[in-house]
Amino acid sequence: MDEYTIGVLTNIGLFSFIALSAYLLLLAGELSFGQQAFFGIGAYVGGIGTALLGWPLPLAALAAMAAGAAAQTLVGLPTLRLRGLYFAMATLAAAEMIRIVLELIHFQRVVDGALVGPDGTQGFRGIRWIFEHGIEPAAFLALVWSLLACVVLLLAWIERSRLGAVVRMVGEDPELAAVLGIDVGRLKLGVAAVAGALAALGGVLFAHVNTYVEPRNFDIMLGVHSLAYALIGGLGTVFGPLLGVALDIGALESTRLFHGYRMIVFGGVVALILVWRPRGLLDERAVDWLGRRLWRRTP
Amino acid sequence: MDFAQNTLDGLTSGAAYALLAVGFTLIFGTLRRANLAYGACILFGVYIATWVAQRSDAGLATLALVAVAACVLAGAYVERLCFAPHRERRGNQVASGAGIAAMVASFALWMQFEEAATLLLPRHMYAFPALYEGAPLALGPLSLRVEAIVLFAATACLLAVLWLVLQRSRFGVAVRALIDDPLAAGLCGIPVARVFALVFALASAIGGIAGFLVVAAHGQVTPHLGMWATLKGMLAMMIGGLGSLPGAVLGGFLLGLLESHSQWYLGPQSRDLIAYLLLFTLLALRPGGLASWMTRWTSTRSAS
Repeated sequence: MDEYTIGVLTNIGLFSFIALSAYLLLLAGELSFGQQAFFGIGAYVGGIGTALLGWPLPLAALAAMAAGAAAQTLVGLPTLRLRGLYFAMATLAAAEMIRIVLELIHFQRVVDGALVGPDGTQGFRGIRWIFEHGIEPAAFLALVWSLLACVVLLLAWIERSRLGAVVRMVGEDPELAAVLGIDVGRLKLGVAAVAGALAALGGVLFAHVNTYVEPRNFDIMLGVHSLAYALIGGLGTVFGPLLGVALDIGALESTRLFHGYRMIVFGGVVALILVWRPRGLLDERAVDWLGRRLWRRTP
Repeated sequence: MDFAQNTLDGLTSGAAYALLAVGFTLIFGTLRRANLAYGACILFGVYIATWVAQRSDAGLATLALVAVAACVLAGAYVERLCFAPHRERRGNQVASGAGIAAMVASFALWMQFEEAATLLLPRHMYAFPALYEGAPLALGPLSLRVEAIVLFAATACLLAVLWLVLQRSRFGVAVRALIDDPLAAGLCGIPVARVFALVFALASAIGGIAGFLVVAAHGQVTPHLGMWATLKGMLAMMIGGLGSLPGAVLGGFLLGLLESHSQWYLGPQSRDLIAYLLLFTLLALRPGGLASWMTRWTSTRSAS
């Protein structure tokens, strides 16, 4: 594989994490415009961990995931009883506040003769852990995709369990779910915490592959893109968001087929797909159909 | 004195926010859907007008007409592709996620408009014929820009006309009936699809005028206009209360005042931080916005 392909595949893997976090909230019936903030928190916490405190990457990633989960839980506590556009706007407001706070953070230190750390709007330079440890791009790609595989397998297993059915039920009809004795508020908080942790994990990996992040990376465009990925890919299965990311980054951005017109093509394709299938390409019906076909073939 | 000057500036930007929020809330009130492409339609309309201004010596009135026409066309495209196919149909299983699909589809078209606009005029900034060339008026120690007066007067006129249309005309009755209950309105013989399309056109025209006034007052156009209009319009709409016209106007002015004062005392980053903090707190405590305190005045159903 050449370097370019490795870069594209790494990006698909990275953005799949934030698309999955938007997907999880959509399953629970909530539309978030704010996942980019937790991606950003992950990038900053992970970067501070490895570049400033000298932690190994796994420890920094765990800390980032904890921070992402905590942040999304805190945002979710007062807002998860809202629905639809109200929740979307509340998460957008929270995400923009977090982005502005990242712009105000100045916390630089000299490490090995170079100044690293968050420097307000100038961004956060020098997150060089994977270079210092001699990790090749191909190895990092393998790391990203094996993490993603673990997450996807775990989520696929949960989806087939009772818990998965309960989450979908809360998303479809929270009142009915509450009548059946489900603690809707706590369930949504749990989903939000997992979504925050996933977005933060994507952020850590993003920061380390780029060595440089700035608050502007985490504006509303990233958040709404992740939402669009989840929705065009499909809400029927955990593989849907991955398909959405692959469609945009893999098929349109990287082939340069529509160079200069990419957004016009992508925008039109998304709108048309949603007219045809309002819950995405791999919606519940498609997944059911596929599942039955595959089931019949295997004895 | 600074305080008075800031208040004046805040009211001026508040007038633009109020127009944007009214356009947003008209669409939301009738369709119960947020149109994320609203700001992008405005950007598109204003870019077409700028393009015309670069190639001819058209006057301001012509440019305003061009901007409004392009904005209405762009709005019709958005309505056909994002909102007409996703209208709520009773007894349809798919309807539960239709609102989200419409919103994401309108975001996709936002991307289209933004790229189309930058393909049309690729530079980062373009000059736009200014509303008024002279020096600002001096009111004692305060200074008042003539553009601000125009913006203010235009906003007041537009809101008055809109109020009359909604309260007095047959179309207005149909719109208000749709807001109350789309199903019952349809059963009474109101052509629901056509009224939706007309509301969309009306909101887009208001957006086109707002966009034109803003760029003509500043004398320049940048591609950030789309994002700016969407964010400020939504912010003012949510502060005022979703779906309420008086709320949108109040929310716009409140946002303008808040921004100008906090910018003066705390700087531009804190200005945005405070605006978002206000929105977040309001949503957490009182999702109905300002309108939930004045429900008796509102003709439209506030969504508290």
